[in-house]
Amino acid sequence: MRMLTTGLLLSSLLISPFVSAQTAQAVPGVDQVRVKTLSNGLKIVVWPDKDIPNVALYNWYKVGSRNEYAGITGISHFFEHMMFNGTSTRAPGEFDRIMEANGGANNAYTSSDVTVYQDWFPRSALETIFDLEGDRMANLSFDPKVIESERGVVYSERRSSIDNDNLGALIEQIDATAFTAHPYHIPTIGWPSDIEAWTIDDLKTFYKTYYAPNNAVMFVVGDVQPDEIFALAEKHIGKIPAQTKPRAITTKEPEQTGERRIEMKRPAQTPLLVFAHHGLRGNDADMPALQLLMSILSEGSASRLQRELVETQQLAVDVGSQVGAGFDPSLVYLYALLPSGGDLVKTESALDALLAKIGKDGVTQAELDKARRQKLAAFWRSMSTISGKAQAMGSYEVFNGDYRKLFEAPASYQRVTTADIQRVAAKLFRRENRTVGFVAQSESK
Amino acid sequence: MSYSFRIFTRPVFVFAAALALTGATQASGVSLPAYEQFTLNNGTRIMLMEKHDVPLVSMHVRVAGGALLDEPGKNGTLALLAELMQKGAGTRDSQAFAEAVDSVGGNLQIGNDRESLQLSAQFMSADAPLMVSLSADALLRPQLRADEFGKVRERAIQSIIGNKDSDPRALIGIYGESWLFRGHPYGQPVDGNETTLAAISLSDLTQMRNRLGGNNTLIAVVGSFKTAAMKKMLQQAFGQWPKAQGAIPEVTAKAVEQGRRVLLIDKPGATQSYFWLGNVGVTRLDPALAAQNVANTVFGGRFTSMINTELRIKSGLSYGASSRISRYRQPGSIAITSFTQTDSTGKALDLALETLDRLHKDGIALDMRNSAVNYVLGQYPPNLETGPALAAKLTELGLYGLGRDDVDGYAERINAVDLNQLKQAIGHYPTRANMAIVIIGDAVKLRETAARFGPLTEMKISDPRYIP
Repeated sequence: MRMLTTGLLLSSLLISPFVSAQTAQAVPGVDQVRVKTLSNGLKIVVWPDKDIPNVALYNWYKVGSRNEYAGITGISHFFEHMMFNGTSTRAPGEFDRIMEANGGANNAYTSSDVTVYQDWFPRSALETIFDLEGDRMANLSFDPKVIESERGVVYSERRSSIDNDNLGALIEQIDATAFTAHPYHIPTIGWPSDIEAWTIDDLKTFYKTYYAPNNAVMFVVGDVQPDEIFALAEKHIGKIPAQTKPRAITTKEPEQTGERRIEMKRPAQTPLLVFAHHGLRGNDADMPALQLLMSILSEGSASRLQRELVETQQLAVDVGSQVGAGFDPSLVYLYALLPSGGDLVKTESALDALLAKIGKDGVTQAELDKARRQKLAAFWRSMSTISGKAQAMGSYEVFNGDYRKLFEAPASYQRVTTADIQRVAAKLFRRENRTVGFVAQSESK
Repeated sequence: MSYSFRIFTRPVFVFAAALALTGATQASGVSLPAYEQFTLNNGTRIMLMEKHDVPLVSMHVRVAGGALLDEPGKNGTLALLAELMQKGAGTRDSQAFAEAVDSVGGNLQIGNDRESLQLSAQFMSADAPLMVSLSADALLRPQLRADEFGKVRERAIQSIIGNKDSDPRALIGIYGESWLFRGHPYGQPVDGNETTLAAISLSDLTQMRNRLGGNNTLIAVVGSFKTAAMKKMLQQAFGQWPKAQGAIPEVTAKAVEQGRRVLLIDKPGATQSYFWLGNVGVTRLDPALAAQNVANTVFGGRFTSMINTELRIKSGLSYGASSRISRYRQPGSIAITSFTQTDSTGKALDLALETLDRLHKDGIALDMRNSAVNYVLGQYPPNLETGPALAAKLTELGLYGLGRDDVDGYAERINAVDLNQLKQAIGHYPTRANMAIVIIGDAVKLRETAARFGPLTEMKISDPRYIP
């Protein structure tokens, strides 16, 4: 659950907060946003916001496990770890040591589509941060000893989030089953034998191919002036050369023509059920309708799944959803956590009936209005922090082609009708378009 | 799927905000914005802070008492009450209440920790009157229906069982505190366990509700609203809440644990083991809090901390290792947690103990002190960036009788931390000789290793409680 909820949080930021035309104009300070593209292709978006004396810097690289293949699965994520492990001018560990000694903290995440590096720091550390970022973009080094140690770290991460977590393990198998051709079948953490096997040369090739300034977009939000940021970027990053554009991922997943089912046998005190339907790409014209549909299904205690499966029929202890919205059509997940002794067959048919009903009868205008208000409030919550702004702008820039679409979302949401939602539900929630995965309760010892 | 990787720095953030351990501002930087305070006739204390950057309004209510109010053997009573308050209140049944929140895109949660019940809500500004009236309904007029109670209790039990099938990182702290503080109020699980939850009846919840009242309540509202109008609204909504029955239990401090004892929790088939090493630490009101926070930053509170450097960065034994200070009115725990592949459990535990030895023997050098001071100061402002964070901070200050200086004067106190104060702070950390140890993992493979670290007690993760 931890993993799904984490993902849920990310994806709700990644895509399509709803905002009405008037309120979008009213986001304070949005007129202050400035953009510059360096001659090496790095695009930088700056939003001055002086609410607190801090800065959020998010650097988005357009690379993830979608760009991998057999033998190097998990390398994008492993690489994310290596970006903290030393350059030709700084020993392993110095990046973090210097950043923290100057009051900064960092994090990063990798998905199927992107790798995002996040720095949060006081304004006083600006020059240091750009120095550190420029250095690792230009001069990353690969110490064989550090690589071996970091393999252990990633393996430990895999054991916690997949091997020792029933839902995590099930989702991995569902992805691998639902996608037969498209690389979304690859687990972002990597298959165990690949974690053990990638080489220093694989890493070097990967760095040169994907970690080029023309494959990244940088967002800086906080107590800054655009001109000082552009000057710092020019000084520390401007001389890093552009690279040939990475090979495009052209594989399309063939249409699924029949239901696929997976059972995982594992020690389990409680059963789990997951439905995964093939969905849409992030910039699909129907994405706003799908987002609203998923709100109606699973956002809040009054949502359909919660009301029906948890409150009324009491088949599940918890239910939830996640919508993938990447460069290519992703999965739409619905999951139910059952009580000990819970009935998987009954839960599956209840979920079936609920999805079929939406396809057949649609949703009410009141439900659509509610979902819109939920999106509006979520939008304003994301606009209340410098990190939220950097994340939301970044996802629109990367997945929708322009950060400004964040503020144009209203038009597309306003256009969604109850008929659109019914049409999308009928199109996606078909039995032959889905993979069903479950973990049954194991015999008690 | 989106995975959230390299999440080590996240927990440190959350940790600081959730426990409100730190409070720091850049020497020239932020302090708590202005707010107005007043007290209603029934004793409820109100704090109002206008903040107009986004059209949202946030409310945080804290009622003193917390899980300490639970009767022995009925742990989780207040937690169930908190949940049931949202399942029908005022004239709205469960469904209508949820619908009222969702339909305007609001959120409203009620939960509790050891020392207070907390309601946290955030709505669009235009819906502020609805937020106030729903909150007052939930706290003052919960329906407490039998059918809803049955569902809430069953779900709470099943959630615990489900957590035991998931990543053990979510549970290791509960096992740790239960083992260290066994027989003490701080060893009781805040949300109960499978056994105590099953023993709770609806009448326990009714009685519990009478132990909450206006005289023990703090309400903070932060966001885009007009103070005069909000004042009136809160007076009407909360002014009639009667006095709480009974006193809030006094807790006596637990003495620092002497000697070492080990609890091994069997999770059959686990490929990794999770461990917790802790002893009794310090309080929320400790005047040396600033120095303790700097010391914890150095030892286990950030990515380059001593413990993460050893267990992750240098050895690759773990994805992460950290230390944490839990503070209440009386001393809570100071504990180290990490996890590693089953085969390397002994090695990782040895390394953790050696690192602890080094902290006690070598102390903290000046350059490390300076780095940690910068880190604490630099990372604090985002903790007070949003309405919900500010509202929670205001009620926390109220609960512990602290003034705004707890925040405003913090940078100065952090900057003043010297090496001698750090030495004092280190004295509160567990030592190799004295600590409680909890390990979750595959017992068949771990038994021998675990016994090496002290007298061994065993239980199964499926046992319906957190200590044998």
